[in-house]
Amino acid sequence: MASAAAVAIGGVPRSAAAQPHAGGTLVYANISGPGTLDPYVSGSLVELEIIHHIYEGLVEMDEHYAWKPMLASKVEASPDAKTFTFTLRKGVKFSNGKEMTSADVLASFQRYQKLSTNASILADADGFDTPDPYTFVVRLKKPNAVFLDILKSPTYPLSIMPAEEKDKPAREADVIGTGPYTLGEWARDSHLVLNRNDGYVADTSAPGPDGFAGRKTAYLDHIRYNFVPEANARVAALQSGDANAASDIPPELSKRFADRKDLSLLKVFPYCQQVFVTNSQNGPTANPLIRQAIAAAVNVDEILDATGQIAQKNASLLYAFSPYYSPEVAKPYYDQHNPAKVKELLAKAGYKGEKIVLQTNSNYAYMRDAILVLNEQLKADGINSAVEVVDWTTNASNMQRGTGNWNVSTTGFCSQPLLGPQQWRVMVYTFPQVKGDAELDAAYTKFLTSPDVQDRKAAWQEIEHRVLDQAYMIKVADLGGLRGYDSKVQDMTAYFFPRYWNVWMK
Amino acid sequence: MSEAAVAGGTRLARRRRFPILRRLLRHGSFRIGLVLVLVLVIAALCAPLITNVDPTAMRIRFRFRPPSQDFLFGTDMFGRSVFARVLYGARLSLWIGLAVALLSGAVGAMIGVLSAQWRRLDGLMMRLMDALAAFPAIVLAIGLGAALGPASGSLIIALTMAYVPRTARVLRASALVIRELDYVEAARVSGAGSLRIVLRHLLPNCMSPLLVQMTFVFAYAILAEAALSFIGIGPPPPAPSWGNIVAEGRDYAVEAWWIMLFPGIAISLAALGMNLLGDGLRDVLDPRMKIET
Amino acid sequence: MRELRRLSLRFLNAVPVILLVAVLTFFLMHLLPGDPAVVIAGQDASPQAVARIRTQLGLDRPLPEQLLVWLANLARGNFGTSLALNQSVLAAVLDRLPVTLSLAAISLAITVPLGIGAGVIAGYKRNTWIDQSVMVIALLGVSLPGFWIAILSVILFSVQLKWLPSGGYVPLAQGAWPWFASLIQPAVVLALFQIGFLARMTRSAMLDVLDQDFIRAARARGVSEWSAVIKHAFRNTLIPVVTAAGIILSLLIGGSVIVEQVFALPGIGRLIVQAILARDYPLVQGTMLLLGFAFVAINLLLDIVYLLVDPRVRYE
Repeated sequence: MASAAAVAIGGVPRSAAAQPHAGGTLVYANISGPGTLDPYVSGSLVELEIIHHIYEGLVEMDEHYAWKPMLASKVEASPDAKTFTFTLRKGVKFSNGKEMTSADVLASFQRYQKLSTNASILADADGFDTPDPYTFVVRLKKPNAVFLDILKSPTYPLSIMPAEEKDKPAREADVIGTGPYTLGEWARDSHLVLNRNDGYVADTSAPGPDGFAGRKTAYLDHIRYNFVPEANARVAALQSGDANAASDIPPELSKRFADRKDLSLLKVFPYCQQVFVTNSQNGPTANPLIRQAIAAAVNVDEILDATGQIAQKNASLLYAFSPYYSPEVAKPYYDQHNPAKVKELLAKAGYKGEKIVLQTNSNYAYMRDAILVLNEQLKADGINSAVEVVDWTTNASNMQRGTGNWNVSTTGFCSQPLLGPQQWRVMVYTFPQVKGDAELDAAYTKFLTSPDVQDRKAAWQEIEHRVLDQAYMIKVADLGGLRGYDSKVQDMTAYFFPRYWNVWMK
Repeated sequence: MSEAAVAGGTRLARRRRFPILRRLLRHGSFRIGLVLVLVLVIAALCAPLITNVDPTAMRIRFRFRPPSQDFLFGTDMFGRSVFARVLYGARLSLWIGLAVALLSGAVGAMIGVLSAQWRRLDGLMMRLMDALAAFPAIVLAIGLGAALGPASGSLIIALTMAYVPRTARVLRASALVIRELDYVEAARVSGAGSLRIVLRHLLPNCMSPLLVQMTFVFAYAILAEAALSFIGIGPPPPAPSWGNIVAEGRDYAVEAWWIMLFPGIAISLAALGMNLLGDGLRDVLDPRMKIET
Repeated sequence: MRELRRLSLRFLNAVPVILLVAVLTFFLMHLLPGDPAVVIAGQDASPQAVARIRTQLGLDRPLPEQLLVWLANLARGNFGTSLALNQSVLAAVLDRLPVTLSLAAISLAITVPLGIGAGVIAGYKRNTWIDQSVMVIALLGVSLPGFWIAILSVILFSVQLKWLPSGGYVPLAQGAWPWFASLIQPAVVLALFQIGFLARMTRSAMLDVLDQDFIRAARARGVSEWSAVIKHAFRNTLIPVVTAAGIILSLLIGGSVIVEQVFALPGIGRLIVQAILARDYPLVQGTMLLLGFAFVAINLLLDIVYLLVDPRVRYE
């Protein structure tokens, strides 16, 4: 925190005289390269940030991560939340020159249903209709009040691709979308180049870009993604002029920007939320009282100081711009550091010094550091904790599948707090290994079937209360992202994914 | 290797042990190496006497303090004393080096000498060693380290497997020469069993190359521990090892250079010390040994 | 002819070794905890999504079946498809080969003349200050941790002095100088250890040879010291040096794992590390197998060099 405050942070300023103009190649040092650019099976951030330059969906996230029409000009939901009618924008062209019609949309939905990793979001679909080339209708078997919120999700995006791709197997579709950039040279593990799509048809009904939606303008001739896993090397590339932009800059390295007037740091908030996850099916932490004792021992300031993350304290699992945001529910469970309460809960639980395994990984420093600090805090409050460090694959598999002998672990959730309760649903069950929690089940059913937003908000409050009260998850903080740019890069703004449309080079 | 040198060498060793020790101590690089290694070993053993700071105790308020009178080597991102960590880290790093040297020495010697004695075993064993050697040591260690779980123990096993093939080959070559010597031949003719030949003649006479080999493996293991920590599969925190201190400090290499500088120097000194010891041992015990590890 | 037959026999002997390596790798990889589908699915994946990926990739089949499928593909020359890269293993390896080969070539071009030269001079000038200083430097080379030097070197040459790029690879096709500049720093870091190693080996081989009768005889005949050294000693030193070259090649592969990581070079070493960490089974298996072939081929090549360098080998 302290180191971050010392650095000048903000949007990259535009010099008054200069006007946006086309041209230039922007070199961007990113942590790694994509495995596939097939949107339907792409879940990793490095893949998605490229994919969203090439592809677009019927609806996309806007600047505040709410849904907004993109390839559709209008979306209508029936009052029973079972029928959704999309009116398509006319004249939208794929990068191969073909015009997009409802046939392409239908084929895309069908391909998604067939092979997407995330196909379950269409499991309730009763049928799709294409009454005319510019109308597409989705009929659901069961009401889903948040169907459009699910459709806007940027992970495993339901992008629209030409109907010809329909029968291509997963990961083998040709990379043809309607977005402002097209795929150029791609050397796996080394670099990837995006070229400006000169035939891009922008949404002229919007005044300007709005999140992943709105009116996008591609100025850059080329964007070159260089894959540079070491943070030191990314910053060095920026410092030496080998790159114009660099992603994921550890806060400690931000000091290197201090004496470089030509380099600036962009702080991205909201980015991700860090939480401790407890294993509700294993050993001592199967007991809610023990989990609550762990939650009561957490001192967030100490953790943030030690990890040095760009962070903001926030008790909630959502952000203030969310319609469901209810900080008063989360507050009592947050940043308690209450040794007396820990003692009381441990006594009530009959805790006899059983070992609590804190598992973390060697790949993400912020996770490892937070667990190391938590370990000290738990020990200070009389809990017999021990740290175990494995690699990320093992750590992630253990959280996903409940394998391995662990009681507490930590991870960052990114899209869930941004996109809201429907996105959290799978995670609050899977990671803490929640089984047979009727209260949580009932609250989620209520959330999904209530057409009224106030009812949904009440349902979310029950969900959030249950998750935090049972200490399935213990909130740490909101983490920000740091990206670095040189002075040639103009009009870069903070958003969850770096976006290079409407960005230009001096 | 000439027979006189080998046979003479061991008899000398048995009858006049002190002259060998004196020759070693007169050897320049052996002396320097011995001093370096002794200093590090004593520092490791006496760590609690040298500092009363707990190497894992976090003092967040004092994070990133540069070296000063209060913080001899500075502090790391948790405000832990780098001096205490390097001192205690010596225990883990030197232990890993020692354990790998001893284990790979024992296993390698057994395989090498046995394959030299039982020729039928030889083909199979050497194929197996070839197969193991086909994995670069570090790749083998990454795989095994991940498979066996995060612990110094699995690191020791992984590195041992990586260094056994070389030790086995060196020992096999030495044993093959000794096997043909007149008095071993004589023992065989007079009816000594294979096991007796191995235990009485082959193993004792292979001690010199084995000792030299183990010294070099010790040095390599210390370097490998550091390299594996860098990739993220070294000894797990919070317990310090030289390798994981450097690895944790690498993101702060410019701003808080002291975190990675001091343990890096410690690794270099330890490896240097062991290599010097090895050079001295080789010069004195086995001057004609050509194959380094 | 006999030699040729022996060599081809040795080559055939290598086949079981390679197969052993393949099967060992297969089981070693599947021993690792952690599920590749979780990594591929990404952070937002649901259990259903992970399960779907497992089915798509055939990871839900029994292990023996997976091994048989893999071996059957192998017999047809198909090394499999990487799970994470969505690319054939052979293509993935061939893509990265130029990087590692370039790195190895530059590093060897530095190592061989410097290492052998330093060793010969030290041996020839034994027990002088020249010998001692050369050996101290060589000793430092084999004692300094490579990645530590690499990071310090980036800070000095890339960040402070800005002489060299901090990382990344520029193909030779884009110009010889950019290619060289992108590799010189990692190549030197890699070479440090090998120069030390080779210099020490060469020196002790030199010492052995210099003691031998034919050198003394040459000296007695009044042949100048240097030409005796060059003509006889150097030539006879080659055998242990060729052995050293074999070891150096395997060191190169190991060392490149670390160096490629620090300098963001998309080479074989980084490929293997990433593949192991992501549990990309086919990629690890295929790469190890190809490395096994390379290892055997190099040893075979060395055997041929032995034959050419030293005719005595034939009579052993």
